[in-house]
Amino acid sequence: MTAAALLIVVLAGVYAFRHQESQAEKVAAPAPSAAVDSSACIASKEFMKANHMRVLDEWRHSSVRDGNRVHVAPDGRKIDKSLNSCLNCHSNNRMFCFNCHMYANVKPNCWNCHISPMEAP
Amino acid sequence: MKKIMLPLAMVAVLALVPFIGVQYAGLDYLFGVVIPYAAAALFMAGFVYRMVDWLRRPVPYNITSTCGQEKSLDWIKQDRIESPSKPWHAAVRVLSEVLLFRSLFRNNKAEFRNGPDLAYGSSKWLWLGGLVFHWSMLVIVVRHARFFFAMPPGFVDVLDQMDSFFDITLPAFYITDALVLLAITFLFVRRMADAKMRIISLPTDYFPLFLLGGIVGAGVLMRYIAKVDVMPVKDQMLRLMSFSFDPPGEIGALFYVHLFLVCVLLLYFPFSKLMHMGAIFLSPTRTMLNNSREKMHVNPWRQPMKIRTYAEYEDDYREKMKKAKLPLEKE
Repeated sequence: MTAAALLIVVLAGVYAFRHQESQAEKVAAPAPSAAVDSSACIASKEFMKANHMRVLDEWRHSSVRDGNRVHVAPDGRKIDKSLNSCLNCHSNNRMFCFNCHMYANVKPNCWNCHISPMEAP
Repeated sequence: MKKIMLPLAMVAVLALVPFIGVQYAGLDYLFGVVIPYAAAALFMAGFVYRMVDWLRRPVPYNITSTCGQEKSLDWIKQDRIESPSKPWHAAVRVLSEVLLFRSLFRNNKAEFRNGPDLAYGSSKWLWLGGLVFHWSMLVIVVRHARFFFAMPPGFVDVLDQMDSFFDITLPAFYITDALVLLAITFLFVRRMADAKMRIISLPTDYFPLFLLGGIVGAGVLMRYIAKVDVMPVKDQMLRLMSFSFDPPGEIGALFYVHLFLVCVLLLYFPFSKLMHMGAIFLSPTRTMLNNSREKMHVNPWRQPMKIRTYAEYEDDYREKMKKAKLPLEKE
């Protein structure tokens, strides 16, 4: 009984990983990114204040997992899904992110991988 | 059913009041400044009043709890926690009750199982549900320090990181948010599922559950779904902490629902069974020492009694009793 259960678990595990590997080969090459258009923000200030973390999270998922690097703003402009698109405007203040994040005591995990504007030379 | 629907309707109305007040009547100042101050003041005054009232009540007798061996002769092993003889033993007993709900752990359930035999069994579900609920609430309240202090102490950050350990969703999902909702649901279902529990449950048992559910619901909604700008919220909380009466900034109505329900909870607290938060520390069967064999306890109210013996009685009435031919002890 135990042996049978163990066998099922092992087989299921093997199948799960096999499945993943065969999927991995099909992932398309990253799509060409859109030109960085930083003439205006992708949404209103009020929306971005409350929802910027969701936009960035959505960008991260769709660009890393689906290779879709082009964000289409409501007004039709195409924007590269990259932190650089944001920082093109917002890097004029090195404390742009940190002012509010320190005040609200929220630690984003962006800078676990990306170089933060505060660390940038 | 009425005793469930009534508190539910009350909480629904209480949640609608600030929503309508802020959204349509622009009463930000009332719900963001006046009511929070009033609720905090009444909470503190009421809490202190209830505690002082209880502390002034005399406890004349030494109540010995009987679930552990009391200290007596040297060769009899004492159960220090169940039957404390030193203040620190009693402190451990109180703290184990406060932090681990020790007495609930001993909860038993009696039910008819297989016919007419009454079966008793250990029932730990209430203990588990209560423990999960209270600890989650504590973590959530401590986490909120990030709104009340410009620089919250370090352990708040540590707690926050542990709580968002899974690092899924953005803003990061808090484990305690899910646990507290599960626990509230369980505590409600527990009262509903059993006929005996349904009978002894009162509106005052359901109201705090629904109220806390409403507070957590509004908070969760604000964090994960209908986003509210955090900056003016923190501004307002820091203002309240520094006793400022400046008007709040532009904050979504959902925040005021959350805040107002918290104010209702604070107001309701001193007048309700929620006072068990303070009362647990005064509970005589937890705080008193079981030293009735070690020390003589005399009721401080005992009045010197006037005693009249039968001999004295007979002395007074001897002649009359003799005449009535009643038997006498002394001729």
